[in-house]
Amino acid sequence: MDFLIQLFTDPVAFWNSHTLLISQIGINSILASSMFVVLYSGQLSLAAPGFMAIGAYTAVLMDLYWHTPLALNIATGTAFAGVVGVAVGLPVLRLRGVFLAIATIGFIEALSLGVILNLPITGEGLGLKNPNADPLGGINIVLVSLAVVVFLLWRLTKGRLGYAWTAIRQDELAAQSQGIDVARYKLIAFVVSALLAGFAGGAESHLNFFVDPNEYGVPRTVQVLTFAVLGGSGNVLGPVVGALFLTTLPYVFQQAGDYIGVVSGAILIAVIIFRPQGIVGRGGFAFVRPRWWPRAQVRAPSTR
Amino acid sequence: MRRHFGGVHAVDGVTLEVEKGSIQGLIGPNGAGKTTLVNVITGYVPFQSGHAWLESDELTGLPAHRIAGLGISRTFQNIRLFKDLTALENVLIGMHTRRRDDTLAQIATLPMFRRDQRSRLDDARGLMETVGLAASDIAGRAAGTLPYGDQRRLEIARALALRPRLLILDEPAAGMNPSEKQGIRELIERLNEDGLTILLIDHDMRLVMGVCKRVAVLDFGRKIAEGTPAEVSIDAGVIKAYLGSGSERVVTSAPGASAAGDTELAGEGSAARPAVEPQKAILEIEDLTVSYGPVNAVRGASLRVATGEVVALIGANGAGKSTILNTLSGLIRPDSGTAVFDRLDLTRAKPSTIVRHGLIQVPEGREILARQTVLENLELATWGRRDGSAKRTQIEAVMKRFPILGERRALRAGTLSGGEQQMLAIARGLLARPRLLLLDEPSLGLAPQMVDEVFKAIQEIHDEGTTILLVEQNALRALEIADRAYVLETGQIRLSGTGEDLLHNPAVRRAYLGG
Repeated sequence: MDFLIQLFTDPVAFWNSHTLLISQIGINSILASSMFVVLYSGQLSLAAPGFMAIGAYTAVLMDLYWHTPLALNIATGTAFAGVVGVAVGLPVLRLRGVFLAIATIGFIEALSLGVILNLPITGEGLGLKNPNADPLGGINIVLVSLAVVVFLLWRLTKGRLGYAWTAIRQDELAAQSQGIDVARYKLIAFVVSALLAGFAGGAESHLNFFVDPNEYGVPRTVQVLTFAVLGGSGNVLGPVVGALFLTTLPYVFQQAGDYIGVVSGAILIAVIIFRPQGIVGRGGFAFVRPRWWPRAQVRAPSTR
Repeated sequence: MRRHFGGVHAVDGVTLEVEKGSIQGLIGPNGAGKTTLVNVITGYVPFQSGHAWLESDELTGLPAHRIAGLGISRTFQNIRLFKDLTALENVLIGMHTRRRDDTLAQIATLPMFRRDQRSRLDDARGLMETVGLAASDIAGRAAGTLPYGDQRRLEIARALALRPRLLILDEPAAGMNPSEKQGIRELIERLNEDGLTILLIDHDMRLVMGVCKRVAVLDFGRKIAEGTPAEVSIDAGVIKAYLGSGSERVVTSAPGASAAGDTELAGEGSAARPAVEPQKAILEIEDLTVSYGPVNAVRGASLRVATGEVVALIGANGAGKSTILNTLSGLIRPDSGTAVFDRLDLTRAKPSTIVRHGLIQVPEGREILARQTVLENLELATWGRRDGSAKRTQIEAVMKRFPILGERRALRAGTLSGGEQQMLAIARGLLARPRLLLLDEPSLGLAPQMVDEVFKAIQEIHDEGTTILLVEQNALRALEIADRAYVLETGQIRLSGTGEDLLHNPAVRRAYLGG
């Protein structure tokens, strides 16, 4: 509670003492936005940490070996993640639903076990030292880019591209009948998502003096998915709110001490039961009938 | 054009031409391959042989979205709107192919984009008005919350947003009441007058016959007739396809089949005496009304079945036959009316209780477990019974009754022919020791010879003392073996009588073909 009290009584001190936390919220929000793009187009892709790793390692390695400027490092990392996104997306996007999810988990496992842990240049799993990191100064980059990302995505969802994504998410077959090239728009979403994750990875690496390969595994992907689903994936702001909510939760309930995991988990369960559409989703609280509560069974009349 | 589905020739060598500016009808009984034909034309299902053209553009082998881009627009048999989006958004998505890629203008929020967007919105509202929807009222409502008829119309508006050269309507009037159907008919005629070419598929003969200049008839994936509605409706082959074929004895005296060109039929119900309803019924349905959301599938139907009888429930597709059976099995709850099976209130009892009470349904489409073996399918049917040895002997007995199942006991059920699968489904029903067996369309999709086999089996099961309620599209066949029968039309019982009476009643033909 001290955390919240300070936020309202002394915002300046709060900002100064929680800079790292706020940066982390920003990074998590960008990651959640990356997840938002794929979910918005109806794809359950869990590849985000893989693209993050690509962005992070590219940016840090460029800095270590070539001493290039930060902006160029992050931009290159982002672009590289996008290129890998095309290469991975082309074969993988034939899959749907849970099969796509498993294939993308395969991608992150192959990347971390097969590449990062084996290459001498990435430290063979021991991680990389990043002496030029700037944990406190990085906050400006993060917050400005978050604002830009949210604005861009908001505009995208309102245009032809956004309509195509929505149509695909709602009903692929019907989308095709409206002349929408489903494969193409799915790939666009997948690559945009890869770019955002790559950017988030590059930016995050600038906040830490150490690049830890264990950061980019399945637990991270579950966390990012939770941000997006909890916040609501039908609205650009949803994932950002989800990231904000879940990242600050442990701080708000500091008093819980060792039981913080239990408290956070219980709150998470409660939110998802009563707001299955997400915190920012359309519609009110589902107090009357949660979605998992079975309806009366109705079978549509068969016509064939 | 040919298209097979794993051994089943769903569409087999069909040639179809739609004249520019016309309304072409496509009809045929259940499972004739109409929707498959549409799915092939629109690129959802690949061609196996044959070709299709839209004017000079070859469609063969193109993916669905390219075909839509060329100007073939369709609606779906089971409405496929984007349910969570607003009505307006649905129509806007339909404009995808004629909207240039404006992503950059969109991001920059240029005035050009706003202007375009405004004209698109006007256009979309105009289209909604065209199909008879009040845009100002429903534009902002989620498509899935609209009344059923409005959803059908909205789907047509979305299809029109593509500015199609050919519009394919797949059962646009399915599930509608007569006045709604009339509205759809007027809409189709109006669109055609504005120069649109339309391919109309529907089961409702009155609609198709009324609105089309030419009609093609499919049966078992083949085109069996084509011509003007008047020609088609008296074609002996068409009548046979719709009413089914009786055994030789009956075909000659089948209603309407005797004299080609005889459109003058005897008056309503002249030959049908009201059948004597049994006093002591094991199943009693009174004034049953069932609906799916806004669609009334069954409107006040009453019928009775006495122990030892075979009662047939016949009627065209969508008449509500399966709905009645599903209600009896407790899968659907009725709006009103009663259904009592041997003192058990079927409108309240759980499906599992109903089954334990001895009311067993053999569902339409058979629903066997395709990847399990024949024997496993049969064993699962006795699951939950504790009489181990009796179970064994009964399974053996059933396999003796259907020798083909005994021969194939170790094969996966999915590899059986359609008729054999139907036998398996019936056998499974028998293992549940039914006191009343509900058979839903047992002859569906079967070749004529297999139909003979299945009906022979039904007859034998009945002779062994099982009470049967039989739902069939193949009316003549069902009437032959039924003690009594009810004719269902748009959710209401139109006729009832002994099987023999109805067999010779011309009104039955009208219930199917809408003559």
